[in-house]
Amino acid sequence: MSMLSVRDLGVAFGSIHPLSGVSFSVDRGQTIGIVGESGSGKSLTAMSVMGLLPLIGGRITDGNIEFDGQDLTNLPETAYRKLRGGRIGLITQNPMTSLDPLKKIGPQVDAVAILHLEMTPKEARARTEDILETLRIPEPALICDRYPHQMSGGMKQRIVIAMALAADPDVLIADEPTTALDVTVQAQIIRLLDDLVKERDLALVLITHDMSVVAQTCDKVVVMYAGRALEFGTVETIFDAPQHPYTQALIGCIPRGGDGTAKLDGIPGTVPTVMNYPKGCPFHPRCTRAQEICTTTQPEFTSYGDSAAACHFAGVAP
Amino acid sequence: MTATISPLGRFARIKNRSLGALSRTSVGRAFSSWIGKIAGGFIILLVLTAIFAPWIAPFDYAAQDLMNGNQPPGWPHLLGTDEFGRDVLSRVIYGARTSLSVSATAIAISITAGMTLGAAAGYFGGLFERVVMTIVDLTWSFPDILIALIFVAIIGPGLTSTTFAIAIAYLAQFTRLTRAQIVRLKRETFIEATINLGAKPHHILFRHLLPNAIAPVIVVGMLAIGDGIVLEATLGFFGLGAQPPTPSWGAMMSSGTAQLFLSPWVIIFPGVVVAVTVIAVNLFGDELISALDIRERLRGS
Amino acid sequence: MSNLLEVRNLSKQFSAPGGPFRKARSMHAVNGVSFDLPKGRVIGVVGESGCGKSTLARLILRLVEPSGGAVTFAGEDLLAKSASQMRALRAEMQMVFQDPYSSIDPRYTVARAVIEPFEVQGRKPDGSAKAEVEKLLEMVGLDAGLASSFPHQISGGQKQRVGIARALALRPSLLVLDEPTASLDVSVQAQIIGLLEQLRDDLGLTYLFISHDLSLVKYFCDEILVMYLGRVVEALPETNAPARHPYTKTLMDSTFEPDPKLRRLIAPLEGEVPSPFDLPPGCAFAERCEYATDICRVETPALNETGGHPVACHNPL
Repeated sequence: MSMLSVRDLGVAFGSIHPLSGVSFSVDRGQTIGIVGESGSGKSLTAMSVMGLLPLIGGRITDGNIEFDGQDLTNLPETAYRKLRGGRIGLITQNPMTSLDPLKKIGPQVDAVAILHLEMTPKEARARTEDILETLRIPEPALICDRYPHQMSGGMKQRIVIAMALAADPDVLIADEPTTALDVTVQAQIIRLLDDLVKERDLALVLITHDMSVVAQTCDKVVVMYAGRALEFGTVETIFDAPQHPYTQALIGCIPRGGDGTAKLDGIPGTVPTVMNYPKGCPFHPRCTRAQEICTTTQPEFTSYGDSAAACHFAGVAP
Repeated sequence: MTATISPLGRFARIKNRSLGALSRTSVGRAFSSWIGKIAGGFIILLVLTAIFAPWIAPFDYAAQDLMNGNQPPGWPHLLGTDEFGRDVLSRVIYGARTSLSVSATAIAISITAGMTLGAAAGYFGGLFERVVMTIVDLTWSFPDILIALIFVAIIGPGLTSTTFAIAIAYLAQFTRLTRAQIVRLKRETFIEATINLGAKPHHILFRHLLPNAIAPVIVVGMLAIGDGIVLEATLGFFGLGAQPPTPSWGAMMSSGTAQLFLSPWVIIFPGVVVAVTVIAVNLFGDELISALDIRERLRGS
Repeated sequence: MSNLLEVRNLSKQFSAPGGPFRKARSMHAVNGVSFDLPKGRVIGVVGESGCGKSTLARLILRLVEPSGGAVTFAGEDLLAKSASQMRALRAEMQMVFQDPYSSIDPRYTVARAVIEPFEVQGRKPDGSAKAEVEKLLEMVGLDAGLASSFPHQISGGQKQRVGIARALALRPSLLVLDEPTASLDVSVQAQIIGLLEQLRDDLGLTYLFISHDLSLVKYFCDEILVMYLGRVVEALPETNAPARHPYTKTLMDSTFEPDPKLRRLIAPLEGEVPSPFDLPPGCAFAERCEYATDICRVETPALNETGGHPVACHNPL
């Protein structure tokens, strides 16, 4: 059974529907990538799973979210608070929004174990140092005594990961964990997350705009666009035989250095904003294969193997 | 662990972020709420009253009628008369002329000087900036009344002293605000891009920096007119501003203190008008700040 | 082939003045950078944040005054020019900026922004202003109907196209591209890169391309300069040349391929980038380098061509 599964999720803010028909599931020891451009709804998906929608005035209108057999869709805030930062850990894009600039690192990480695992401060500190060590942070005891501003961006991101791990979570949600970092640091953090998934048997939901990061780390992929999932499947099928024209185009947008044979085309037009999601298939205004039906009817998912694409012409040779 | 992830910001950004100058549409938006309508309507009415005072005022503001002194509100003196039998309504109407023109002139001088100094300080920076800002801050450390007293001592009591006193009192505010805007704008990419096109300093300053800095300055200027009215009334009250028989709200209240219990209307009506005017100016200014979306830019200066 | 741009030993030192509570400090943002950019070629400058690549771009265009070195553009010694001579020369060398969101005056319409370069240089376009605007917008693939739009009404990608149109208005020969796609979505990034390629072919432009993205630089450029803490550590004469500097190798290894079959275990780079304010003597990378020897911690290596392309390393790979 899946550790976390989201079925046909729909979200509304008043009369605006920024998210609909999003489904995915992830098992222990597995990494799923949710990939999309800005405004695709990938971060909103993460917030829905974390139960943070009410905070920003949103609500779930369709579908459900199941975590380890428990339905989270209508979970009250008090119960959610136990899960969040406990059995479900979150890593955000900007470590500064997760770290208190006025508190030392040690107490900040300790607080998680004290709150969620009901440890004494002393036990919590020992645990913090253990975790920092597994994250390959040199001299954990020294780091515990530092303030966030005394550290580099990569180190701060590791502290945020340590906080997410402190309560021994089953699911880790990482929202663009490396976007603000340099490539060499990104490589370290990705390697670290990869190791954690294997060593701790975690289920990792990796939200990113970067297809190369997905290719490097994920087992499964959901491709999102304009608040919808357009294609999902194993990482091999998504990259080797993408069915949805958007996935194909997105892969075609990645610059590949070296031989210089492949030409970058880009996708004509612009990413739609929440206010002007197109009718029918959301991608049709930018799609080279769009027909009449695409402008009117939202396509259903067509399965092929263990993958599926929401396109009227999925599987049809272009 | 709180998550401030992007969707929230994305929804907020859908709101129009007009960085533009005081355009017609932005002022229009300030009128969209009922507070904006009432406050803005009152200000327009007051300005019209000041302009058309000779046609609106039922009596001559200086005409004395000692036989009918200290008449309570009624007919034909709707707001009563003062100790010399002058019509309070007419004096309040003419007083709007004095108050508004003195305050507006003073603030106009203050804005002109403040924007010039602030823009120059922000643009050129360095020692020049430090000297200008030190001098300007010095004027801020003096109480308004003290500045006024200095002017009264130099050029004698009257509206000229009042005007200059108000202008000096608000100089620091406009200088600092303009400087802060210019310093912020100088860091924008479009300024670097325009310099890289080969633009001369005056092009950068007059085509890009000042036009983008002007909106918040004008709004603060408008709020300052409200404060200027209070300062003018205060000086008038102490006999340092408008001299008799020039009608001024402050001077009227001052002369009313003597008959406070005999004919309270002489002091009440000008007082109410000052209060309502200042409240209206502030409420409308607030609406304008929201409409222009410049609240953020007014902070930190 | 003649060089359009020659950069010699270009340096910039920034200093933070001391105060009652801190010492005065200084740092070399750019330190002794030299290279030639032949006409029609594209050189990429790649490096991580704080390596000085953006400062280098601004030094070359004299948007920031260099503290030492020389820049020769089309045979002219730029650092010897007066302010007014420099203003006239700027028409020939333009820049496209990283942040399209603030690169146009919010009060300007697209048309006004695109025609401003002529106004600034006191020139008249060949045809009418309206015709010129239409021509420039067409050149960057924008609909002429956008001419009356304000920046907040158009998308990031469209803004970047306006930025490019502005840079091209005066028909420059050199374009410095400072991370022109870093704040855009990938699908839009690919559009902009495609446009820049097409413009280079159509107009015979020469590009200096600044980026943190090695795969993009490899795709787009003919030659690559790798920067680390203000210095050029390696000059790759072609994009698929093997790395000779350990830092370049780390950079290449850290760059992921968009192909799950090419997954690899990345040997994590140890340590942190040292503060540029108090650099240790010797090679700036020595602390983190697995090949470092004693000399690396004493003597700063210079770019050296023995045994292959130029590399600043005592123990090249």
